[in-house]
Amino acid sequence: MSLVVTGLSIASILLLVALGLAIIYGVTGVINLAHGELVMIGAYCAWALQSFFGIGLLASLPLIFLATALLGWIIDRVVIRHLYNRPLDTILATWGIGVMAQQAVRLLAGGELRYVEMPEAMNHPVSVLGVEIPIFRIFILGLAVALFGLTWFLIFRTSLGLKLRAITQSREIASCFGINSNRIYGLTFAYGAGLAGLAGAVVSPLKSVAPEMGTTYVVDAFMVVVLGGVESLVGSVASAFIIGQSSSAVAFYANDTIAKALVLLFIVILIRFRPQGLFAAKVRS
Amino acid sequence: MRNRDLIQYLTYGTVCLIIFLVPVFVQDAFLLNKTARYLVLGILAISLSLSWGYTGILNLGQATSFGLGSYCMAMALKLRTIPVHTGAEGLPDFMVWNNVEKLPWFWEPFYSMPFAIAAGVAVPALIAAGLGWFMFRGRVTGVYVAIITLAFLVVVNLLFIDQQRFTGGFNGITDLAQLDIGSFTFDAYGASSYYLIAICLTFCLFFALLVTKSKAGLILQAIRDHENRVRYFGYDVARYKIFAVAVSAAIAGMAGMLYTIVMEFASPTFMGVQLSLSVVIWCAVGGRQSLLGSMLGAILVAGMQGALSESETFLDTWTLVMGLVFVLVVLFLPKGLAGAAETLKDRIFRKFGRSSKAMAKSPGEATPRPAASRPT
Repeated sequence: MSLVVTGLSIASILLLVALGLAIIYGVTGVINLAHGELVMIGAYCAWALQSFFGIGLLASLPLIFLATALLGWIIDRVVIRHLYNRPLDTILATWGIGVMAQQAVRLLAGGELRYVEMPEAMNHPVSVLGVEIPIFRIFILGLAVALFGLTWFLIFRTSLGLKLRAITQSREIASCFGINSNRIYGLTFAYGAGLAGLAGAVVSPLKSVAPEMGTTYVVDAFMVVVLGGVESLVGSVASAFIIGQSSSAVAFYANDTIAKALVLLFIVILIRFRPQGLFAAKVRS
Repeated sequence: MRNRDLIQYLTYGTVCLIIFLVPVFVQDAFLLNKTARYLVLGILAISLSLSWGYTGILNLGQATSFGLGSYCMAMALKLRTIPVHTGAEGLPDFMVWNNVEKLPWFWEPFYSMPFAIAAGVAVPALIAAGLGWFMFRGRVTGVYVAIITLAFLVVVNLLFIDQQRFTGGFNGITDLAQLDIGSFTFDAYGASSYYLIAICLTFCLFFALLVTKSKAGLILQAIRDHENRVRYFGYDVARYKIFAVAVSAAIAGMAGMLYTIVMEFASPTFMGVQLSLSVVIWCAVGGRQSLLGSMLGAILVAGMQGALSESETFLDTWTLVMGLVFVLVVLFLPKGLAGAAETLKDRIFRKFGRSSKAMAKSPGEATPRPAASRPT
């Protein structure tokens, strides 16, 4: 039982980190290697707001979302915009941006580890089905589900989402109908970056905050997106669940490192046989 | 031989000659060792240029091959220090610390230096060929190749760190003997190691150049430009791609071995994500579609990084600057510095070529041929 709960906890964090990446990748085709750094910046925002302005973690979440979204929008307008037709080069450019972000944070906030305090109300465990779990873990799970729901609503129930889906299918034809694809791309990137910032903020009390923390997240998040299928939101949820559960199960029998290696190998094999991912959206072509 | 080829061979030869002349002017052992290190990274960049620039396979796990080669050499050199550290019958020191009773079977053959050298080239090549077979037979392309190779790198890296008993874990394999062949010892801080590396560099550079000029090399470039067209002509695209990654991995493995010789240790960071992505940067800055450009890019960027990170003023800002330069290169010089040099050269030649040819030939033939304007 505790295995399943641990797996669920890993999965919810993975989903939070991967959701923004999945949206950016699915809509614009940009491989955003700076995603991990956006997560890291979100975590640092949480730390800065807490230690300089005394704003608690929960209250600072909307601010962090806006700040990282704005940053994402700027990155898109200045750099990524020019590379929409060169997907492989986006890997390189975003990695360069990631390097800059890492070093900039190191200069501004110092290289040492930072700690963010857990919200007072969530600092005690509750018993769920016979397992003691911290409320904060449940909160993360809830937030992941809520953000997934919000994203789903934005994409499938708003006019903005309709335009977005049109662009994903065919950018040229969507443009012919007067949809400003440039603007939508920018907004998508900003939204994805905002989600990354949120993810960083909520994981900050669980792990120490450091300039290098992003690198580990980005590889994991990629695996979630690729496993799930690029254009499928539901796929991201399912694959985050699968990866979370299998990591915690293998870690129980071997150790964390072996678990991670095996899960990665499994994903490599999966990409080979299903490059479209487990839950590819059916698109008429 | 065409004129263009001749100029290319001469340029490559001149650069190698300059590299050979360095020890004449640089006497400082520390500086020589550092230069040798950059040259090794240059070899690594050549290997990536072969697979990325010439074949279009963005291998984000090039450091896997580098690291494997490095560990092969380190194992052989470690075994030679056993009598010094733990007695003639003993085990390498880190195995003793980890309570290993008996030398593992896969360490045994590394008592033989020729075997170790062969393994340092063959193991990375075979593993790359296996991974290539796995990917390219299934027609995995583009971004997915990048993700698979990156994931594979992380897996290998995690395993090497986890299996501390056999690989030294986080610390890697340290405290190595110096390489000796026959009765000659290669001193890591002496000119001997430098020349060894310079010879290997020249060999790799010209070997890679000959590969790109061979028929297989031309097909590889055709695959880069339009894979399906090559397939429709009846070529086995997968086989050529496997060949490209295997050759590339062999060269990277060789670079790894040389790196262990000059650094005098092997570390899991040699197969880390950071180094692997750095290679991509070097190639992109130097010009991935030029072997020489990639190599010089590596020497230039790594050298500047080394120099600036040692000076007080740039210690903190250097990485920031490097990231910025890299983004600018990707945006404005997709073919890197070599591409920019090529364009510049063409412009100058066109200017002079037009005036001289116009007098010699009829105006119709005077139009300059579109050199170096390969489609990308």
